[in-house]
Amino acid sequence: MTSESLSSTRKPGTAFGLFADRSQIVLIGILAALCIAISLAAPQFYSEANVIAILRQCALVLIVAAGMTMLLICGEVDLSVGASLAFVGCIGMDVINRTGSLTLGVLAALAFAGTVGLFNGIVATRLRVNSLIGTIATMMMLQGGVFLYTREAVQNHHHLPSFTGLGAGYIGPLPIPVIIAAIVFVVAFVALRYTTFGRYLYAVGASENAARLSGLRAERLKLIAFVVTGLLVGVAGMILASLMNAGQPTAGRGFELTVIAAVILGGTSLSGGRGTLIGTLLGVLVLKVIDNGIIILRWNQDLQMVVPGIVIILATWLDIVRRRADAR
Amino acid sequence: MPQSLDAAHPVPPPAPAAAMLKALFRRSEIPLLISLLVVIAFFSIASDTFLTTRNIANVLGQSALAMTAGIGVAIVFISGEVDVSVGSLVAAVAIPLIVVMNATESLFLGIAAALALGLVVGAVNGYLSAYLGINSLIVTLGTLFILRGGVYLYTGQTAIPDEAMLESFFQIGNGRLLGLLPYPALIAFVLLLAFAYVMRHRPFGRQVYAVGGNPEVARLAGYSVKRVKFACFIISGLLATVAGIMLASRLGSAVHVAGLGFEFQVVAAVVLGGVSLSGGIGSLFGMALGVLILSFLSNGLGMLALATEWQLVVTGGIIIAAVAFDEFKRRRI
Repeated sequence: MTSESLSSTRKPGTAFGLFADRSQIVLIGILAALCIAISLAAPQFYSEANVIAILRQCALVLIVAAGMTMLLICGEVDLSVGASLAFVGCIGMDVINRTGSLTLGVLAALAFAGTVGLFNGIVATRLRVNSLIGTIATMMMLQGGVFLYTREAVQNHHHLPSFTGLGAGYIGPLPIPVIIAAIVFVVAFVALRYTTFGRYLYAVGASENAARLSGLRAERLKLIAFVVTGLLVGVAGMILASLMNAGQPTAGRGFELTVIAAVILGGTSLSGGRGTLIGTLLGVLVLKVIDNGIIILRWNQDLQMVVPGIVIILATWLDIVRRRADAR
Repeated sequence: MPQSLDAAHPVPPPAPAAAMLKALFRRSEIPLLISLLVVIAFFSIASDTFLTTRNIANVLGQSALAMTAGIGVAIVFISGEVDVSVGSLVAAVAIPLIVVMNATESLFLGIAAALALGLVVGAVNGYLSAYLGINSLIVTLGTLFILRGGVYLYTGQTAIPDEAMLESFFQIGNGRLLGLLPYPALIAFVLLLAFAYVMRHRPFGRQVYAVGGNPEVARLAGYSVKRVKFACFIISGLLATVAGIMLASRLGSAVHVAGLGFEFQVVAAVVLGGVSLSGGIGSLFGMALGVLILSFLSNGLGMLALATEWQLVVTGGIIIAAVAFDEFKRRRI
């Protein structure tokens, strides 16, 4: 377990080794197989428009998944992200409607989402409520709360072009959400791999007691991970509101399961201490390429639930088989 | 840790009533029972219509689904694994049930078909988790997606109505014993008593606690860890099927969106009932009390004419408070 948690997080050397190691081979293989199979059946898969569409789809999930990866690494989980995503959109849109200022709206959204993260963190670390049940409770409160806040979708009454740009705009050839996701990803990647904060998160997740005995403030580190996840939900929520051009209280249903599926598909352990952001990126890509393939092959869209279900089980199983083969 | 020992090796209650009562008070369910009584007392004072036999019977009927599925989920938790697929399974089993009943007009064949699907899903979950060693949260999250997607695919996102209109099928979900106690509540309580007996007094139950508490020790003691966990998943699949049959009878059709979020409800009740996520700790009566607390809360808040949204907010707050209090108490000991 220990040697594995080290090897899967740090294996310097080759350029390939910097970004991926053996534990990602299975996912890279699945991704390659999917891309080849889909492009054979539908050549437009590689068109610029479609690639950008896939990246745009990935952006929302990846932004939140970056925070969720940190949380799972330090041994916690947040199931309230889907409910929070919807609430954030409503609040952000409402504040912009009232003030006419995009900055204030984004700040309000971030403040709210950060507070939700802080609340989750306090419940998990100070009240010592298992985060699986604590964040289910937060999810219920947010789902109820958003309907108390607004009965129907908060419409766009301000028509700020900068707000629309948040979700639909481009810088050069790249959509703005993709650029935001890339920035979030790089910052989180560096933080997890090259800063003491990141190393401490792994230590806390691998063995909280050992980490505490060596002087780490486990509670504080976990609290930070919760707040970071909350803030990232705030970012994603504003992008989603911009894409839908409304704050939808019903948005984000099941979003938490998609995010968690992507993260664990990427090889992050649920028991903490193991996982990488590269894995998470691959997990998000695999799930979204499947989604995209089902659409461009004109398959029944309900398969968008069935196929990812099969893939996360299959990928985890292949990873176990690979590890057994490695051990021989 | 004394609690885990207590749960793993329950003291068989001696025959005299006084000693039985004494043994009862040592158990960890007592704080839950007190919480339940506080909830009931509060709403009895706050609302005139809460503490009526009719309403209590109704709440018991409403809690039956979560209780039936909760038994299986709690057993899987105690064995050290997780099962979140129940939310989709309750919707999925209604399809073979209704389709077979529509074709054959036989309730028996319909239930057999539903149980067959539940058995297969439980066996797949169990095989992948116990024998192939895939993390059970991933497996059951996967089957949660697959089953829900399968239901959407088969039904084309509509409900399949029950055309056989069998009276016996209608009675399962809507009938009442002596015109009062809903049959689902009766079924849930019978299942609860049966499985609580198995978990406390039969070798299988002891094996489940042993396997969840410490798989290595259980293996050295000669238990087949894999087989025990496999059996737990099958039990969970079958019990979720029973819940699904009761739900289908109440809805009168196979509804594609039935049971959305049901897995969260059940997991919340099971953990509130003191069943540990890390395995080996907890009891089915605790789980049942967890389900009842949440059901009475939701019913009572509804009686106070509180909007459903407020019910969610208050329930969420109470779950956090209850688990936090439980943790606080445990650390003090």
